[in-house]
Amino acid sequence: MSISTGPIASRQQPSVFSSASSVLSSAARRNLRQVLLAIVLPVTVIALWQWAGNGGSLFGGVLPTPDRVWHAWKVWAFGSAGLGLNPYSGTWLANLLFSAERVGKGFLVAILVAVPVGVAIGWNRIASGTLDPTVQLLRPIPITAWLPFSIAVFGIRDMGAVFLIALGAFYPIVVNTAQGARDIERNLVRAAMMMGAGRWTILRRVVLPASLPAIFTGLRIGLGIAWTAVIVAEMIAVKSGLGYVLWDAYYVGRMDVVIADMATIGLLGLISDRVILLIERWVLAWRRLQSFHS
Amino acid sequence: MTMGTITFENVSKTFSGQSEVRALEGIDLAIGEGEFVALLGPSGCGKSTLLNLLAGFERATEGSLLFDGKTVTRPGPDRGVVFQEAALFPWLNVWQNVIFGPQVQGVARVDYESKARNLLKIVGLESFSDALPVQLSGGMRQRVGIARVLAMSPKALLMDEPFGALDAQTRLSMQQLLLDVWQSLGTTVLFVTHDIDEAILLSDRICVMSARPGRIIRTIPITLPRPRSIASLTSTEFVAYKARIMSDMKVGAAHA
Repeated sequence: MSISTGPIASRQQPSVFSSASSVLSSAARRNLRQVLLAIVLPVTVIALWQWAGNGGSLFGGVLPTPDRVWHAWKVWAFGSAGLGLNPYSGTWLANLLFSAERVGKGFLVAILVAVPVGVAIGWNRIASGTLDPTVQLLRPIPITAWLPFSIAVFGIRDMGAVFLIALGAFYPIVVNTAQGARDIERNLVRAAMMMGAGRWTILRRVVLPASLPAIFTGLRIGLGIAWTAVIVAEMIAVKSGLGYVLWDAYYVGRMDVVIADMATIGLLGLISDRVILLIERWVLAWRRLQSFHS
Repeated sequence: MTMGTITFENVSKTFSGQSEVRALEGIDLAIGEGEFVALLGPSGCGKSTLLNLLAGFERATEGSLLFDGKTVTRPGPDRGVVFQEAALFPWLNVWQNVIFGPQVQGVARVDYESKARNLLKIVGLESFSDALPVQLSGGMRQRVGIARVLAMSPKALLMDEPFGALDAQTRLSMQQLLLDVWQSLGTTVLFVTHDIDEAILLSDRICVMSARPGRIIRTIPITLPRPRSIASLTSTEFVAYKARIMSDMKVGAAHA
């Protein structure tokens, strides 16, 4: 997981480029600098890669150059006028949506189970004693080890992939949520009790909001694992989606499609993480103010 | 009807753990309706523990503790607690914090709204309804802490060094505010502080505590005329009280 420190980091950095053009506003200049800094490395790598493989490929024809990958990607996305039987022509969006839908379903299941369980573990001694040991026992089993189990129980169907995604995302969410609920400031709970709040009200109106920062940390880690899980599941346990295409294209020697597929996964992971980050900023506005003040 | 009487009878509190700590020993204290009592003592003398027992946050190890004649078993809105660091909910704005009490008790909106507005006006924060706690100064946060407690019309106010973390000037204005509010409400107050000036200025009676185990070693009635204001801080009677309490507290320290 890369942790975005974008706007915060730029605030804290000494203004090295402050003598630059004053035509742009300082905020716009900061953003522009951020974008330029961000693309330096990928652009350099792609340029070197293209240059090194001037015959169209590297490593004795195994690795296609970026222009070929880009071409394969375009055909995969928009189709070509050629034969209609090419599985890598115009099927990009459909496969992307298969994967995204599985991630969405699995991640949602993970949230719906992990948040209540995590709050219970962090908040209630009996729940903690009952649930936490089992969670900690199952947690070291990697989702890849669950693959045979998943295929045996759910078959080569969507449910198997959703199960693996939900399971993978469950652990970081439950662990972080429990930590958040456990770390709640004692006087906040006392204040709520003093004002006549019952146990249920305290859970809903004090413990849950106080745990939200930790919950969001768990969500971001969990989403990363969800993308890993969907690719693993589709490579083995389902016959569609980006993970399926990845393995399938490899078998027929289409490394250009393999790389386009990898890039697609990376972009989707990045975008979905940004979406969580945006929701977090909106939900935790009170916390953002806090960190800027201190 | 209003009441708010407090009775400690031979109350002791021991914290168990790796090593047992005797926090309070044989506390006898009776506080009448509408009385303002200050608990004065060095840090670690158990004065906050005494307040926590009365609030219902902790249980006494021995003795009996009555509020309006009934044994204290749990926290409740009849005893409004003002914490040192305000302990506002950081995700709720000022207005939501103030109405939290009536809201969770299921009071109808019409029954608390005008009162809460009025309280915000009294503490001088009517234009800060939408502000989050983090956007307020320490003094303003404590004003919200007081307003949210008063919104429940408690029979007693339990204040745990509420102004201890504030700068000297803000503390004075908060003391004045509390004097004014108490003057008009007449609620029973138990006020924990380590500040001698504050204890004399505010209270009808000061209970001086010694440390480990915490005991009440001296009770001093303060008969400065009311209504008081921070101008009382410079009167000759005030200075006389202060001299006496300072010598009392030195005696306590020598025995500790």
